[in-house]
Formats: sequence, structure tokens, C-alpha cells
Amino acid sequence: MMSLDLPHVVLASSDDGSLLWLLAAGPAGAAATYWAVYRYYRNTDKSHAFERDTIIAAEPVQGGERKVDHVSRTQRSDIDGDNSDKHRERVHRAR
Amino acid sequence: MTQDHVSPGPGQGPPDHTVADEIAAARAEAEQGGPPPGPTVESVNETLKDGINRCSACGSTDVRLRGSTGMLVCLFCRHEWQEERVEEALGLGVGIDELEGTVVLGGAADIADENDVLTFTCEACGAEVVVDTAHAMNARCHWCRHTLNVNRQVPNGAVPDAVLPFKLTKDEAVARISDFAGKRRFFAHRQFRKEFTPDNVLGVYLPYLVVDARAEADYWGKGEVQTRRWTEKHGNSSTTYYAADVYDVQRSVRFTVDDLTVEGSSERLTTGPTNTNNIINTILPFDTKNAVRWNASYLVGFTSEKRDLDVDALAPRVEDQLLSVGRSQVQGTLGTFDRGVRWEQEKLDVGGTRWVSMYLPVWLYSFQRKPGDLVHYIAVNARTGETMGSIPVSQPKLLLAAMTVGTVLEGAALAFLGASA
Repeated sequence: MMSLDLPHVVLASSDDGSLLWLLAAGPAGAAATYWAVYRYYRNTDKSHAFERDTIIAAEPVQGGERKVDHVSRTQRSDIDGDNSDKHRERVHRAR
Repeated sequence: MTQDHVSPGPGQGPPDHTVADEIAAARAEAEQGGPPPGPTVESVNETLKDGINRCSACGSTDVRLRGSTGMLVCLFCRHEWQEERVEEALGLGVGIDELEGTVVLGGAADIADENDVLTFTCEACGAEVVVDTAHAMNARCHWCRHTLNVNRQVPNGAVPDAVLPFKLTKDEAVARISDFAGKRRFFAHRQFRKEFTPDNVLGVYLPYLVVDARAEADYWGKGEVQTRRWTEKHGNSSTTYYAADVYDVQRSVRFTVDDLTVEGSSERLTTGPTNTNNIINTILPFDTKNAVRWNASYLVGFTSEKRDLDVDALAPRVEDQLLSVGRSQVQGTLGTFDRGVRWEQEKLDVGGTRWVSMYLPVWLYSFQRKPGDLVHYIAVNARTGETMGSIPVSQPKLLLAAMTVGTVLEGAALAFLGASA
């Protein structure tokens, strides 16, 4: 029954591109289930949150910003390479 | 947005000083006839010597830690006492904002002797007793049954400046490990489920270096502020576009860090797919403020792993962590940049550090399917009770579950598309 319906469904959904992504639901759901369970068991992503759990006394943050450019039209909803919350991702070390 | 302050860019400011630089400078100074590098603060417990630790009340040597109180107890007369906290005894809680250079306590000094085996002469009967300091700091005299202890600083990394005694009992650790594994039973590997015996948990003192630091971190990057958002129609579909102002962003923060804790064993330091060391790392932090002066009697009944990393080997790791701490501190000032910030350069200037070696208590359960395979740990912080573990997964079972979920979702998607067509 399903094999008869499938070509019809794909053809019908091709007319409306916005619904095609639904076909990815199966593989995406399978991958998400696999990784969620795997991580719950193996905890490979866990480590000591020293940024939060250590006693830190900081003076007020200094600094500034200067406008240098304008992007007039982009489809990106955020800056390319946003790493503001990836504290452990090292960038070029100025010496 | 106005520019309130612009600091010199990378390379324009004063030269920075890293922990490694400080250590290299100290060594160079020593080579030129200056003061030698190495310990600047002695931490030897002068009240003790190698050999027999006697109870001050009755003279017995049957002394061990009483976990429920965190005190040493004489098993003969039940007298209890404890060593001084190093926080006060060695002045570790003060002066972090005035640290200059690299201060290394005696127990964290460079490892100069790889020999793990020490030989004692038993003070009670004169027998020669061997202690393998790679795994234990006590031994029973095989003739007279007295307990002998390693209390002096030996230059092989086995004797730390301080020890944080076990607080959680073995029964409490077994309960936590059972609970942790019990919640992860269904997809666990069959062999793990069959052989799981939480009573085999081992109490082990692991070596750490606890670091106080004073530092300044600078960061440079780009930030974007959205100025417009609009949607354009293209036939039946639509696309959203954005316009944004781009800024050069600079931030700088001075801070002190109190008791940053890093692994002192090379076997535990590396993390990745070939080991589960991240599990042991995750149960940090410990209440290191309550660490006491070294007394080998705290280790009676437990095993220990000796430190094999020196301060200069760990300096890059600490610098990385200080840069991460600085980044987390400046994050709160980036709210204006609603499209995010991309840091491109960073710089660390370490004013001073102080290194203390400690044994910290961990209840450890390990499982290995067969020799050469990954060793899975379930670790319990023996002070706070925080528990973390790695449970081997049954791949066939997990794949079957994932495919079942995928099939159901795909079926629902096809049904929906069929209906909408």
C-alpha cells in the first residue's frame, strides 16, 4: 500500500517545496534518538565547568567598539563564526 | 553606538607574560647565578617523620581516617584528631591579588627522581619494609604489624602539599553508583549489565595541582548589530534578509582565580575518544579550602596515584583555562551585539601564580569489556557526592531503537504529505 502511495506523495509535495523537508523527519529523528541516548549513557560531552565553578574575582570589564562596516543584505541571521559563548574555543594568541 | 574607549591592538600594548614565560625567566635567572628555581614555600609537616605515626593519646599505630567525621581516629583507643587546614597554615587564602611570579609549594616541585619504591626500617622491630609510592603511601611491617607511613617530601611526586580526606563512605558511593547505572540500564551493553558489581568501587586519592592566579586578558574581534530585517516573496516561497552594522570590538578584564584545579597525572590529563578521563574531570570541583596538611595516615585503606607532571608541563593548560575564564567574564558586556561576536585574537598577561599539589578523594568504579578496550569509569566525588559515568552502550539495541523512531516519524511525515496532497 505504501509503495503505491509514495510516488504520488513525492510528486505532490514537489509542487510545494515548503513541505519537502518533512521527508527528512525520519532520518533526523533516528539520528537525534541515537545521539541523545548515546550521550546520556556515555557523557562524552561532559567536563568540569571551571569558568563557573571556580572562585573568580574580576574587576569591571574595560573596552570599546568602533563601527567599521555595514552589511546591507544577507540571509545569515547571525554573524559568521559567532564564538562569544564558546569560551574554550581558542583563537589566535597575540603575544 | 559611541566609542567609549579604544585600547591598543595586538602587538601595540606592553608585552604579555605567560606562566611559561615566568618559569623560563626563573630558570634563566638560576643559570646566571641568580636564586634557584623551585619551591619557594615549604609545606613539610614538621610534626611527622617517615615511619610510624603514633596516636598521641595511647601510642598505637593503628591510625586511619574516619570518613564520617573527616578526622583521623586511633583504632585502639578511639582518640580523634586532624591536621591543620593548609588554607590557614600556609596562608593560601590570602594575597592572590598580590601574587608575583610563579610560587611553587614544596609538594609541587619538579619531579627529580623516578624511583617509586622506598625502603624503610621499621622503628618497632628493625625489619626492612618496602613501600611502592606509585600506589600507596603506607605499608604494614610484615613482622610486627605496625603501619609505616611516608611523610617526608620525596622528589618523585608522590607526596603532595595537602590532602583532602574522604567524606563519603563506601556504602554511600555504592548507592550513588548503583543509582547512576540503574538509570542507564536498558541500553547498556549486555556484559556490563551482567558483570556490574558496584561493591568493587575503589577509593583512590588522585593527584591535582591547585592554582591561584592573577591575570589580565584582552580580546579583539568583530561584532554585528542588526539594523533591519525584511522578507521578500519569490513565487510561493519567501526569504528573510538582514542588514547589520559591523563593529571592531575590544574587551579587557583583570581577574583573580582561587583554587583552579588541574589533573597532575598525565594519564588523567588527556581527554578524547580513546579514554573516559572527562568523567573524572566532570566531578570537579572539590572543597579544596578544607584540605589539610599531609599526613600519610589519611591514605590508610585507600590507594593513591602519584603526580607525574611538573608545573611547567601544566602551565599551557592553566593559561588556556585563564583565557576561557576571561572570555566568560566579558560575555556579559556583549548584549548590544544581537547578531553575535566573533573573537579573533586574545592575549593573556599572567601577573602571578601559586601552585599547590593535593591528593583529592574519588570513589572509582571501572569496567572494561576485554583487555585493550576502552575503560569506562563511574566516578564519585568523595566530598560533594557528584557522580558522573560512562556506561558502555549496546549498539544493536540502540540502532534498533533509533531506526524504530525514524520509521515512525517517516511514516507520519508521509501520511501528512499524502493527506495534504
